Amino acid sequence: MKRSALWILIAVLVLVALPSVAFPQGVTLRMLMEDVPETHIIKALLPEFERKTGVKVQFEIVQYMDMHAKLVPQLLAATSQYDVLEVDNYWAGEFPAAGWLEPLDGYVARDKFDLKVYLPSMLDMVGYYQGKLYMIPMYNYAMGLIYRTDLMKDPKLNELYQKQYGKPLRVPTSVEEYVQVCEFMRKNAGLSGSAMQGARGDPIVMEWSNYLFSMGGDYYDAKWNARINDAKGIRATELYIKNLLENAPKGATAFNLDDAFRVMSQGQAWSMISYWWMLPQLNDPKKSKVVGKVALAPMPGGIGLNGGWGWAIPKNSTHKKEAWEFIKWVESREIVKRRALQGHAPTRTDAFNDPDVLKKYPYYKEALEIIARAKHVPEFQFSAQMIEVTGRELSLAAAKQKTIKQALDDAARELNDLARKANLKK
Amino acid sequence: MRGAATTGHTAGVYAARRGKPLATPGTMFVTPTIITLAFVVALPLAYSFVISFSRFTFLTPRVDQFVGLENYLKALADRYFWNSFYVTVKYVILVVGVEFLLGFLIALLLYGDLRFKGVYYAILTIPMVMSPVGVGLIWKMLLHPGLGVVNYVLSRLGIQEVNWLGSPAMAFWSLLLVDVWQQISFMILVLMAGLVSLPKEPFEAAEIDGASFLQQLWYVTIPLLKPVALIAVLIRTIMAFRTYDLVYVMTRGGPGVSTDIISYYIYRTTFMGLDLAQASAVSYLLLAVVLVLIAILFSVILKQEAA
Repeated sequence: MKRSALWILIAVLVLVALPSVAFPQGVTLRMLMEDVPETHIIKALLPEFERKTGVKVQFEIVQYMDMHAKLVPQLLAATSQYDVLEVDNYWAGEFPAAGWLEPLDGYVARDKFDLKVYLPSMLDMVGYYQGKLYMIPMYNYAMGLIYRTDLMKDPKLNELYQKQYGKPLRVPTSVEEYVQVCEFMRKNAGLSGSAMQGARGDPIVMEWSNYLFSMGGDYYDAKWNARINDAKGIRATELYIKNLLENAPKGATAFNLDDAFRVMSQGQAWSMISYWWMLPQLNDPKKSKVVGKVALAPMPGGIGLNGGWGWAIPKNSTHKKEAWEFIKWVESREIVKRRALQGHAPTRTDAFNDPDVLKKYPYYKEALEIIARAKHVPEFQFSAQMIEVTGRELSLAAAKQKTIKQALDDAARELNDLARKANLKK
Repeated sequence: MRGAATTGHTAGVYAARRGKPLATPGTMFVTPTIITLAFVVALPLAYSFVISFSRFTFLTPRVDQFVGLENYLKALADRYFWNSFYVTVKYVILVVGVEFLLGFLIALLLYGDLRFKGVYYAILTIPMVMSPVGVGLIWKMLLHPGLGVVNYVLSRLGIQEVNWLGSPAMAFWSLLLVDVWQQISFMILVLMAGLVSLPKEPFEAAEIDGASFLQQLWYVTIPLLKPVALIAVLIRTIMAFRTYDLVYVMTRGGPGVSTDIISYYIYRTTFMGLDLAQASAVSYLLLAVVLVLIAILFSVILKQEAA
């Protein structure tokens, strides 16, 4: 009895200790990746990298909402379990500010890695932080306008619009005009004007930022004083909330991207302000009833919200050399083109201008324009908190629990606190 | 190696025979568990308690700066903390109350003579074993105002469509509805188990004395079932205080702050505010409230047993 107990104890201890005594083999790069098509496109190409370099790559694929919580403890530890990171632009200020990322300037200079092929707006967002290069742009999710072309061509609607507004119906070029067309479509086309995503948190903030930037507003001024409550911010928010409460589907104050997509794909809305790569989703007969009836345009007013991911190497990785080799490979012209041909959202201009890519995806022309003009949210240690605070206040205003002015003033006060806490205020 | 182990083992046995047990099999079996628990439960608990008195954030992960009660006072001065506290208490009382009353009713129905009992049990256990995230996603689709089944059925019945999650007044109740749907089985099954294990004699005696069904229920069933019911309420209360997944998936605390439950508040403070010290302080405030509630419930249970 006792003897077997002892053996069980030994067996348990051995099993517990086993993973730490890694079997000596070639280098394996571990990466935490988001469960999106992009990740699976790259995963399918990995055997080529492994054959070329002898370095194995292991993807741990999780949902977005789990990523930050999984990454931070690893980055705080003495050594990280992950050797290459994909960094969302929400964290593009936090990670370098915390000193968790390896600066890449040296690697780029040594290997003459060409940064000129990248869109400047992408390098600015998920490349440099305070003048130092920490990330290589990987993926883009800038936002633009997706609208129904069939309704824009409808003679009756055109005639009615001309009669009501004394001008022809066209793709709107300002936020005011956009809200006007949304209202017109709701009243006359028997559907919602805009499939909006007004859920508290990042959905409402992402969508509202398009209105804010296109109206000439911003989160902070050059000296990091909050300015979301200035006249432009208030006007943008008034238009946003008017659209959300009047011209969006019922319940849009709780919608996220999926909910909004369902409405749009079922043909129940004239437009949506969304990621440019939602267009192929809406043209997929398996998912959508509006195939061939949708088109992409820049955000009315010109400046949409930019978003994206960058590749980075954690400072506490034990395989930095191999990690850089991986980044070089995955961002090489050939691999980027092959990723793009499978529907990846590139960050390199040569991929956007490639004849083969353009032949397959003609709308990459508009996408390039959208990305080039897009603007990202301020990047600093507390970007995520800034978005949280703004989202809470916008949601309070949309729920009519606060006036727009009061909500924006409250948000501005907290945004100023965050800038002060990050020592950015000048 | 083998020889050494055998020798050690024999020595242990002899020691035990002489009345000085070095390590009984019992201790040996529980030692790994105790060590593991100390590492994964006790240590983090103690560590987070220390952190709650420091300026520890993810950006400056240091505990050497003692700030006293600063984090606790900061939480108590935050109106959104009090909003979350209010929402949570309201939520816990209502969700546990509704589940208990409905659960008790269903348990009584199932306890009676009923055909296909096995089928009902099977159906009842399904929501309980589903992941709350899955439940949240499914219900979010069902409650979709324009495309969801629930509003479709209502419109067919001539009832106006309901803005389930988009209106601040309604979102709280929608969340409650989904939670009750998922967790009520727990209440039913525990209460059923309680009912089944009740002694038959008092019921027979009551019947001979001519007690009606309601009299039996009030004077026999409920008093006998009290300890089990209290345990069920206790466990569900603790679980309800920790509700997080449903809120995250369905409302993100909104619209406005109408469903901003405290565990979601703590999550945001940790992973968006990066302020682990503040989040730990709020967690300990929550723990204090839950502990007081548990203490009250336990004292009631123990009093019952003593009586």
